[in-house]
Amino acid sequence: MSAPLLSIKNLKKTYENGTQALKGISFDVQKGEFLVVIGLSGSGKSTLLRCINRLHDPTSGEILFYGQDIAKAKGDEVREVRKKIGMIFQHFNLVPRYSVLKNVLMGRLGTMKPIASLLGLFSQKDQEKALSYLKLVGIQEKAALRADNLSGGQQQRVAIARALTQGPDLLLADEPVASLDPATCHVVMDYLKKVNQELGITIICNLHFLSLVRQYATRVIAMKGGEIVFQGSPNDISEEWFEKIYGEGAKEVHIN
Amino acid sequence: MKNFNLKSMMFDGICGAFLLLVLLVVIMNPTEEQQLQLGFNASLAGLFFVGSALLSWFLTHSGVRTWGEQIFLPPQKKAHEKAEAFLKTVWGWQALVVLVVTFIVGLAKTKFSIVELSDPDGFAGAMRLFQGIFNPDWSLLPKAVLNIIETIFMAFIATALAIPFAFVLSFLAAKNIMKGPIPFAIYMLLRTLLNVTRSVEALIWAIIFSVWVGIGPFAGMMALMIHSIASLAKQYSEMVESVNDGPIEGILSTGATRLQVVWFAIVPQVILPYISFTVYRWDINVRMATIIGLVGGGGIGTLLIQYQGQAMWPQVGCIIVVIAVVVWLLDQASAYLREALK
Repeated sequence: MSAPLLSIKNLKKTYENGTQALKGISFDVQKGEFLVVIGLSGSGKSTLLRCINRLHDPTSGEILFYGQDIAKAKGDEVREVRKKIGMIFQHFNLVPRYSVLKNVLMGRLGTMKPIASLLGLFSQKDQEKALSYLKLVGIQEKAALRADNLSGGQQQRVAIARALTQGPDLLLADEPVASLDPATCHVVMDYLKKVNQELGITIICNLHFLSLVRQYATRVIAMKGGEIVFQGSPNDISEEWFEKIYGEGAKEVHIN
Repeated sequence: MKNFNLKSMMFDGICGAFLLLVLLVVIMNPTEEQQLQLGFNASLAGLFFVGSALLSWFLTHSGVRTWGEQIFLPPQKKAHEKAEAFLKTVWGWQALVVLVVTFIVGLAKTKFSIVELSDPDGFAGAMRLFQGIFNPDWSLLPKAVLNIIETIFMAFIATALAIPFAFVLSFLAAKNIMKGPIPFAIYMLLRTLLNVTRSVEALIWAIIFSVWVGIGPFAGMMALMIHSIASLAKQYSEMVESVNDGPIEGILSTGATRLQVVWFAIVPQVILPYISFTVYRWDINVRMATIIGLVGGGGIGTLLIQYQGQAMWPQVGCIIVVIAVVVWLLDQASAYLREALK
């Protein structure tokens, strides 16, 4: 097997209030994987993703991205890393007052000259790129609308387009469907799958629903209390494992 | 020591020192010379303060609830207490005595006097004044209008020139942006500077500038501008501190710089409240400009003080009407504007 795209080694994160969110986590991510991280709220899934693109600073451990440790990167180095790692969020995190297209163009900020970016001078090429990704997620006809006029599912698709416009090698998705209704949920997950399979972008995705995990993941990591309790194929998660992850008496819910 | 304990002790200390000082003045009836011994009196006050604070500490620790403790004790610690009648508690009596004594001392200090209010000569004088004011001399109207236009523009330019300074300062004085040791030091420095600037009234700035650049509208405008910068920067920065973190994370995760995050994730969120605050500031500045005119800041205030000095009450009446109408109109207009900007 070739060298992994991302390799996490003994990653720890303790918040200022003393909460130990990550207690020494290690795993590898190969190029092209659709890795799903499951676990209860507070199990450290979100912290893990935010450490990878350095929205949070890890306390100790290594994050090897393309073989380079980015856990202690600073300033411009962090920005270089973030350009290669797109992220989508539970609450979409679009700028509500901007148009859909302008939100997608935000993905180009990292590559632009400071003055040009502040004046909003996005190049023709950038605009075409943004539009093409809007087309990929099927909402190019909404490009001129204000982002807050869109439904939740549509906003999440805009967020995916924004992340893709960065030209990332890795896409982090933090509970991307947790605030969507079940029907919309599949639409968004299908687009993520498309991104993974057609564009070959590696995805690490936090999810709640096990049924979605079986349908979309190529591999699963289960977290509990800041530690990894299960690693393997989604089909290997048995009833017993399920109870271990989600606690006694938990029942699997299917959403269609 | 826990934070609320310290606050509670200080509060009780101030109450106690105040009561003891009042008691001392009543008993000793000091001469004016004695009252002016600031150093000695201050150390006496300090002594009383420390003594009362220690008494408060002692009382609190022997289970007596003082007023300070009642105020500063966190609510969750009071949750299981039964409510007691106000006058059956020590802190209730403490509060009552302190407030009543403060009120009495206040009346004495302001030389409150029913006799003066009902003095027939003085009352007749006031009546003459009112007669003048309620019979405005409208021949002064053109001049008053011209002067209030000067005042309005003085306020407008002061606000307009304050905007760019306040805009830049607002981000540097926002806690959520100034993270890290050096930015935080800048934040603290700016906050202190803005607070000091703001606590110096526009009126004082007007006195300073009327010496610096000479009496007139320019001095008034400068005074208003300085005060507006400090006030707007404070209000703006509070808006910046309350923005939604979502878009910030969103833009940050694309690899954007700090400046790009401010420009693309924060500015769109704060721009409407900024405009709203600015309109309101202009409205306040027009009112303040009138007062500032009284100390030589130009505009309608300067006109007012001229006629007031000569006791020309009908002319003063005309000026007052013009001021009232303009202030009322601007107040309404800015209220409508701010409502629409929500």
